Amino acid sequence: MLLESIKRGDTVLEAKGITKRFPGVLANDQINFEIKAGEIHAILGENGAGKTTLMNILFGLYQPDEGEIYLYGEKVNFKSPLDAIEHGIGMVHQNRKLIPAHSVIENIILGHPRAGNVLNLKRAGKEITELCDKYGFKIDLKAKVWQLSEGEKQVVEILKALYRGAKILILDEPTSALAPPETKRLLESIQIMTNDELAIVPFITHKLPIVLEVSERVTVLRRGKVTARLETKDTTEKSLAREMVGREVIFRMERVEVEKGKPILQVENLSALNDKGVLALKGVSFSVHEGEIFGIAGVSGNGQQVLAEVLAGLRDAEGGTLLFDDINILHNSSLERWLKGIGYIPSERVDVGSIGDFSLVENVAMNYYFDKKYAKGGVVDYKKIRKLTEEMIAEYDIAAPSPDTTAKSLSGGNLQKLILARVLSRKPRLLIANLPTQGLDVGASEFVQNKLMEAKKERAGILLISEDLDEVLSLSDRVAPMYEGKFMGIIPGGEARREVVGAMMAGLKPKVDEI
Amino acid sequence: MWEFFVRSLDASTIFTIAALSELLGQRSGILNVGIEGVMLFGATLGFMVAQSTGSYLLGFLAGIVIGGLIGLLHGFFSITLGSDQVVNGMGIWILGFGLTAYIGYPYTGPLGMERIPDIFGLSPFFFVGVALIVIAWFVLSKTSLGLKIRSVGENPSVAEVSGINVTRTRYLSVITSGMMMGFAGAIYSLDYNPVWSNNFLMGWGFIALALVFFSMWNPYILLAGSILFGTLWQLSLNPQLVLPGLMSRYIWRTVPFIITVGVLMLMSTKWFRTRWGAAKPDALGLPYIKS
Repeated sequence: MLLESIKRGDTVLEAKGITKRFPGVLANDQINFEIKAGEIHAILGENGAGKTTLMNILFGLYQPDEGEIYLYGEKVNFKSPLDAIEHGIGMVHQNRKLIPAHSVIENIILGHPRAGNVLNLKRAGKEITELCDKYGFKIDLKAKVWQLSEGEKQVVEILKALYRGAKILILDEPTSALAPPETKRLLESIQIMTNDELAIVPFITHKLPIVLEVSERVTVLRRGKVTARLETKDTTEKSLAREMVGREVIFRMERVEVEKGKPILQVENLSALNDKGVLALKGVSFSVHEGEIFGIAGVSGNGQQVLAEVLAGLRDAEGGTLLFDDINILHNSSLERWLKGIGYIPSERVDVGSIGDFSLVENVAMNYYFDKKYAKGGVVDYKKIRKLTEEMIAEYDIAAPSPDTTAKSLSGGNLQKLILARVLSRKPRLLIANLPTQGLDVGASEFVQNKLMEAKKERAGILLISEDLDEVLSLSDRVAPMYEGKFMGIIPGGEARREVVGAMMAGLKPKVDEI
Repeated sequence: MWEFFVRSLDASTIFTIAALSELLGQRSGILNVGIEGVMLFGATLGFMVAQSTGSYLLGFLAGIVIGGLIGLLHGFFSITLGSDQVVNGMGIWILGFGLTAYIGYPYTGPLGMERIPDIFGLSPFFFVGVALIVIAWFVLSKTSLGLKIRSVGENPSVAEVSGINVTRTRYLSVITSGMMMGFAGAIYSLDYNPVWSNNFLMGWGFIALALVFFSMWNPYILLAGSILFGTLWQLSLNPQLVLPGLMSRYIWRTVPFIITVGVLMLMSTKWFRTRWGAAKPDALGLPYIKS
């Protein structure tokens, strides 16, 4: 079938009986689906449901053990991503495949067969600008990629795929790093693309409402199998979640009302530099009370990470005051803060939260070696910590064969449970939770959120930093939308309206009566 | 004074070509700290072949070929086997140091050939060096090949999914880089100082290595840095030409090395890294292992 003769509704890609095994795991088990020209076809699944494997097979990174892929009715066998690209498949990766030091245009034309021996930037620029105009993207082609926001980086990836002539666009978690207004713009652009008979295949774990909003059909994966093929109009958020998880999921966490105690953390005009030496935290002031969840909502890169590190004692502040129990702790080390009762859940589970080559016992010991009860005269009592670890594995339902397993062999959700168990077992009075549910599936997120609620019930003060607006709004007693290193305001959680907070996250000042 | 100036530019030529070769390899992500060893090979082999055959052309070819072969060796270890590039480079230096002392010993003494004619009093290789700088800048920033080389040096996995053969691009860079190192060594032994003696390069390669960091991976800053270091080097050899009576030549001789140490220390400060860190190829020194 000729590419030009593709009409809306024709089947462009068909997967038949795709099976892929990894040692000990059946990642994809007899997966069948078809994608039509001009449709938005979401593929839904929890972490570990086999989504990533399937995506990598479609993009030529893996070869299936069994099964066949047909493109425009012809059997294809992708040996590499380049094969897939040449067959008109474009991929927009969640962890961006871009070179930060290079300009936007250099990233887009990298490896393009028509780039010319001597780069013809003028022609390429003109063609890319045409694409931008057509689909409503705005981007400075000469800017360096490291200067861009997450949303802009995604646009670069989409443009790169389109410029290579993609007819089928695979989007990996397309909206997970975007502020609500950016999400809206992206969805509009996608809709225009479908008018040009492009097939859009978003792979989604989180943010189910997006699926409902734009997609026409949904294929749900669970434990490597297709469990449902649905027309989107026949579904609801709840029914989709049930198909994904295999059981009922509580969607809106019930906020437990706890009597608010005295302020435990008081922050006044705090500022700090980021790794590049640029002022990234520009004077924030707030307080966290006992028995309160204080939420910070923002798109990544707006200073939340810097704030969390300053509070945990991992980064020096440029100025401001930081009072814990009315005592200045700005110059206390991170260990001293631990001993005072400040617990920290870092956003980087793998790089900061754990040591991959250490066993679970050793990882737990990282938070106990300084405790007299678990280490006497500098000798760590591993027997005791091992017992503690076993208790954590049981209580938090961590899927680990033994406490001696290495941390790197755990899945993201289980590793986060371990980190959470380790922190909460010390009964912190203040808990800094930085992106505690990022990258976790519905089930594990729900678990983590429940635990935060329980800690609140035990009158801990909790600072919740999240990029997931729904999570912040449903959990927090007060919400501060953060934009470019500053709070755009502090709003009571119960009254905050999604659109208003979303706009504030994108830097728009709300009108008083809107709040 | 004019003589001093001309000699300085001659010295700068060798720094320029040697440092440019290292820069090319580093832009593709391959660090070769054994540049001194590769240059020793090029200088010694070039000297031996030229003296035996009486042909400068064959001498330079020998230097370029041996440099390319050692580049290939470095590539095999660091690209195909994915070994530690620093350890590897140190190995190449020690090998070059020892082996050239052994094979070159019978050739101790002057080359004994007619000098290569000058152009306007300057070594013709000065013009070759400047031309190579312009070519390298053009290739790196204006061509597809250059974009490929920079991409594999910044992020090989991105290059791979964009359809670039990382292995081939890195081999190409590291072999070309080795050839230029060998060439630079041959210029030293056949033109600048045509007398073979044990370890006669005396750290030129290491200064060239430092120059790459000094240049922030930019060919034009590299040229300026090379001229600066060439001048300082020449000053250390005959300071009486410029500053008669001011300090012993032995003190002057340490100056380029003191500056090298200073530059490397400055480069490693937090201040410098936060300010200029973006210039360094992200994947420098990291082997690329396909997942």
